[in-house]
Amino acid sequence: MLITGIKITLILLVATSITSLCLGTIIVIMRISRINILRFLGTLYVEIFRNIPGLFWILFFYFVFPELLPQSWGDKLNGYIHYPVIAGILGLTVDNASYVSDILRSGRLSIPHAQREVAMSSGLSRLQQYLHVLLPQMFRATLPPLGTRMVHNFKNTSLCMAISASELTWATQQIESLTFRGIEATSIATLFYICLASVMVAVIILLEKFLKIDVSSLKQSKA
Amino acid sequence: MIKFIAANKWFKDRHVLKNINLEISKGEVIVICGPSGAGKSTLLRTINKLEPIDDGEIIVDGMYISDPRTDLTALRAEIGMVFQHFNLYPHKTAIKNITLAPRKVRGLSKKRAEERALKLLEKVGLDHRRDAFPVQLSGGEQQRVAIARSLAMEPKIMLFDEPTSALDPELINEVLEVMTSLAKEGMTMVVVTHEIGFAQKVADRVVFMNDGEIMEIGSPPDIFVNPHHERTKEFMSSVFHIPIFSESQEEE
Repeated sequence: MLITGIKITLILLVATSITSLCLGTIIVIMRISRINILRFLGTLYVEIFRNIPGLFWILFFYFVFPELLPQSWGDKLNGYIHYPVIAGILGLTVDNASYVSDILRSGRLSIPHAQREVAMSSGLSRLQQYLHVLLPQMFRATLPPLGTRMVHNFKNTSLCMAISASELTWATQQIESLTFRGIEATSIATLFYICLASVMVAVIILLEKFLKIDVSSLKQSKA
Repeated sequence: MIKFIAANKWFKDRHVLKNINLEISKGEVIVICGPSGAGKSTLLRTINKLEPIDDGEIIVDGMYISDPRTDLTALRAEIGMVFQHFNLYPHKTAIKNITLAPRKVRGLSKKRAEERALKLLEKVGLDHRRDAFPVQLSGGEQQRVAIARSLAMEPKIMLFDEPTSALDPELINEVLEVMTSLAKEGMTMVVVTHEIGFAQKVADRVVFMNDGEIMEIGSPPDIFVNPHHERTKEFMSSVFHIPIFSESQEEE
């Protein structure tokens, strides 16, 4: 049960990290777009999803979302054995993406306007300006808070126990109620959370070091 | 090559370009000078529509910049621009700074773009710095890379917006030398600068601007030595406050 819990937690972590980074990037591009309606929708998104608890969104996707779909689709989802995990991924993604987009927006604000002008004056299209000039700088500039946010998201995966997705925290509770060996199960879970979060932090620090450009790191090329 | 027809621009209530009429032919080197706030940079930036004009028209290489059907990306690809603060991409090495636009806009292969970039780096004397990041380069080196970056698009026109104003005095010459050789090769250049020595040596015509207006256009001696306008005289006398310097530079 614990092993399954760890597996599901890892699935939740990997899936939501990827989807929330992608969604967050799309939202931030909408928010800094010059097209009013996109900017409005992007801002609306952040205000809605950031100001309502993540747990709520997990519950929403599990209990409410299938009801909003056509009857047959909804029934299918409700009957699907992995739907709790999927609802968890959806809930965590929309929640985390709102923070990601706001963190990335601060990165955009830190890039001087001239960078955009240079890219523009060299004939790059809007998409190319984002892909090659703006986004790489936004991610670099916001790596520390972005990393913290991803660790936070990792911890939030435990909220999925509320919809009985069989992740780690849910598993410890099951063990407790079935065998009363809660102390052991909880200790193992605690250790796992600490270890994996530390690994994430280490990866982020390494990434920061790797991406850091300073005067001393110059590789002297053959003159 | 570039033709301003009664171009006007306002920033809110401020009339920053007043009825600009100017024709620049192919291969010409134009220096724009004047006091700060005169609209020199704004004038320069209207040529590739970094600043749109509100009235009148500018025709660049047959393209009408106010026409909404004009392909701005194509227009800008033909116009190189060098900025006061270099503005290299900080996350890319010198060579990557140079190859980005040729690869993405012109569709050059990585190999061809790098060959071209290396040639240009050689031309500005920095082929040994190809893998350096901008923070690892001096101001003068950064500006030379920025010039190479613009040239890599093989533009028809080069715009320079105070390219030496942010440099230490000792680094100015290396940048001016690159610009001078570029002018000798027949590049059409519009340069906003306070480097009178450079203007005297290289410019075909000098445009003196004040308060959004073109006050005078003429050959360098006309503007610097025998200006007609009171305002031009005033400005020149203040610029030549240290005449010994600019003269000794000339003789070198």
